[in-house]
Amino acid sequence: MYQFARFAVIRAALAVLTLVLVSFIVFSLMELVPGDCAERYIAFKASQGSVISAADVDAERVRLGLNQPYVQRWGIWIVNAFQGEFGDSCIQRLNISQLLGQKFWISLGLAMSALLLAYVIAIPVGIIAATSKNATLNNSLRLVSYLGLALPNFLLALMIMLFSTVVFGDSLTGLFSKEFRDAAWSWAKLRDFLGHAWLPVFILAWSATAFAIQTVRALMSDEVGKLYVTAAAARGVSGRQLLWRYPARHALGPIINSLGFDLNRIFNELPIVALILTLTEAGSLLIEALARSNDQQMAGAIIFMLTASIVGLNFVTDIILALTDPRVRRSILG
Amino acid sequence: MTDASQVDAKVDQKLKEAYFTASQGQLIWTRFKKQKAAMVGAWVLVILILSGLFAPFLTPYDPTIAGRDKEYLNGAPQIPKFWDENGFSARPFVYTTTRERSIKTNFRWITKTDRDARRYVVFFPKGDKYKLFGMKFDRHLFGADVGYIHLFGTDSTGKDIFSRTFYAINTSMAVGTIGVLIAFVMALLIGGISGYFGGWIDSVLQMITDTVRTVPAIPLFMALAAFIPDTWSAEERFFFISIILGFIGWPTLARRVRTHLLTERNQEYVLAAQLCGASAPHIIRKHLLPSFTSYIIVDLVISFPYMVLSETALSFIGLGLKDPVNSLGVMLQNVTSADVLLNYQWYFIPVIFFIILVLAFVFVGDGLRDAADPYADTKK
Repeated sequence: MYQFARFAVIRAALAVLTLVLVSFIVFSLMELVPGDCAERYIAFKASQGSVISAADVDAERVRLGLNQPYVQRWGIWIVNAFQGEFGDSCIQRLNISQLLGQKFWISLGLAMSALLLAYVIAIPVGIIAATSKNATLNNSLRLVSYLGLALPNFLLALMIMLFSTVVFGDSLTGLFSKEFRDAAWSWAKLRDFLGHAWLPVFILAWSATAFAIQTVRALMSDEVGKLYVTAAAARGVSGRQLLWRYPARHALGPIINSLGFDLNRIFNELPIVALILTLTEAGSLLIEALARSNDQQMAGAIIFMLTASIVGLNFVTDIILALTDPRVRRSILG
Repeated sequence: MTDASQVDAKVDQKLKEAYFTASQGQLIWTRFKKQKAAMVGAWVLVILILSGLFAPFLTPYDPTIAGRDKEYLNGAPQIPKFWDENGFSARPFVYTTTRERSIKTNFRWITKTDRDARRYVVFFPKGDKYKLFGMKFDRHLFGADVGYIHLFGTDSTGKDIFSRTFYAINTSMAVGTIGVLIAFVMALLIGGISGYFGGWIDSVLQMITDTVRTVPAIPLFMALAAFIPDTWSAEERFFFISIILGFIGWPTLARRVRTHLLTERNQEYVLAAQLCGASAPHIIRKHLLPSFTSYIIVDLVISFPYMVLSETALSFIGLGLKDPVNSLGVMLQNVTSADVLLNYQWYFIPVIFFIILVLAFVFVGDGLRDAADPYADTKK
């Protein structure tokens, strides 16, 4: 038990260290960007008709603490970031946690559901593909998973939208119906949300499933030919029991291990899907911050949060793996 | 023994000899040729790359605003015909279209097709000037004897979609190539140092690589791309996007290079060479490098479609290349509006090329991976 706790603590420390490194990358990128918050604010004021001098810009910099040295500002940012506090948005002059609020959790929920859906489909299909000798089945599965790669999800989204506009007269966009947009959470709102959320989840899961099928298939076909499976078959275990209890358990380890990167890939696609389906969540907020308003504070906060959830998932999968896989457990307990 | 069996044995012997003396490249090629899907993919890929390279010659018009057809905006594809109700023609032709706007059409532009005015397809006509391999030409593969011909239709400014598509293939391939090369150099350097030195240098470099791999690359590089000044020219943008793509790709490649080096370094054949008194440079050059160049090439081919996909994604949201440049991403950007979805479906034609390109790459990459695996035959 003590050793296990030590393992968990070390893993947690490593996760925090990764996050600190990530925050440094993100923060440096935000700094590399030409112009800072003060200039942007002053530019906004100038566009409103007030006369602005260089002294005003400097005063604003002092007010925002932008005159402090780089490392010091990074330190302040990272300490605040770990408390979920990202300061004010450059453009909207509002607290970021307030602007981001539940939107981030909606994004995370969508991405996690897509991940879940992908593996619910991929694990059985991948196992069947690896063990079946049926060439037609194998080839068509291969083609489908290639298509998952070659057909970009934004295209898929567009096609579904086109189809539903023509057939149902509803473009299926957005996350909430009009009457629920600003309402407090309730059963009716939740039902409405689920009615809208299946489409982004499906589209995000599309390419994730293609990847997952390939991974599961490759891992399974490596394991199926091994001697312990033959030994188990010789002892009289057969059929589904043979597959699930022996090679599948072995193949599961690397899959759990790579969940973090799958989430990473889904996050990569989230902003684009959000843009097409006009979702009101963190992905579209990110595009808004980057492509339209150059809001570096907001963009930094969102990227940091996304990475934090990936690091978090990696930590959780490490712990799960240590609990479920006897080989890993043994290497920890020594 | 009969004569026939003796001949057979001789042929067999020859085949065996050829097999045992074949170079690694020949072996890979032999295995690759056996895979039908990969061969089809390879042919498609070669054709696409060549048509991208020779786009200025193969396409009838300049893909920029200079080559636009003012009379045919948002025009439907014109499919060449050999016959209609006015009779047969040995030369393919399309119809002349005119646009008009009057009180009768509710002041909207209406395109009318005049089936009596045929435009014949001509081969090797003089057209827009272009440069190919540093030389100036003005001949194109085909064109129309009067006015314009648009096989894939035109976009909202009257640019020929057929021409734009072929130029776009070229641009996307170029961006992908530069991106892959940058990723490759970085991966070789970082993965090489990491794998060759091992120890704490390896640990530190792996820590950094893993961290970079954790951050979702596209949002991160969207942040970089978002701040490209508007004043940059199309070429500067182009190179910047290629560099960004290179930075997206390197961590995965670097890890593979490192793993290859680490495992190969401890192989018995390396030990054997060392015991024979071979020097370190000799081992690296003659044994280590050939042992994984094929894998690296395969990895490069496999990572290529991701580069093209990333370029499309960046351009699609308006952060990558922009309109005067023709890339597949820029072309896809145009299909998002509902107007296009419902009325101008021919905007989707470049999409088909895009899917074919990515699929071809995936098939070739997969085929190469199987062909480069020396144990592929023994496993099954």
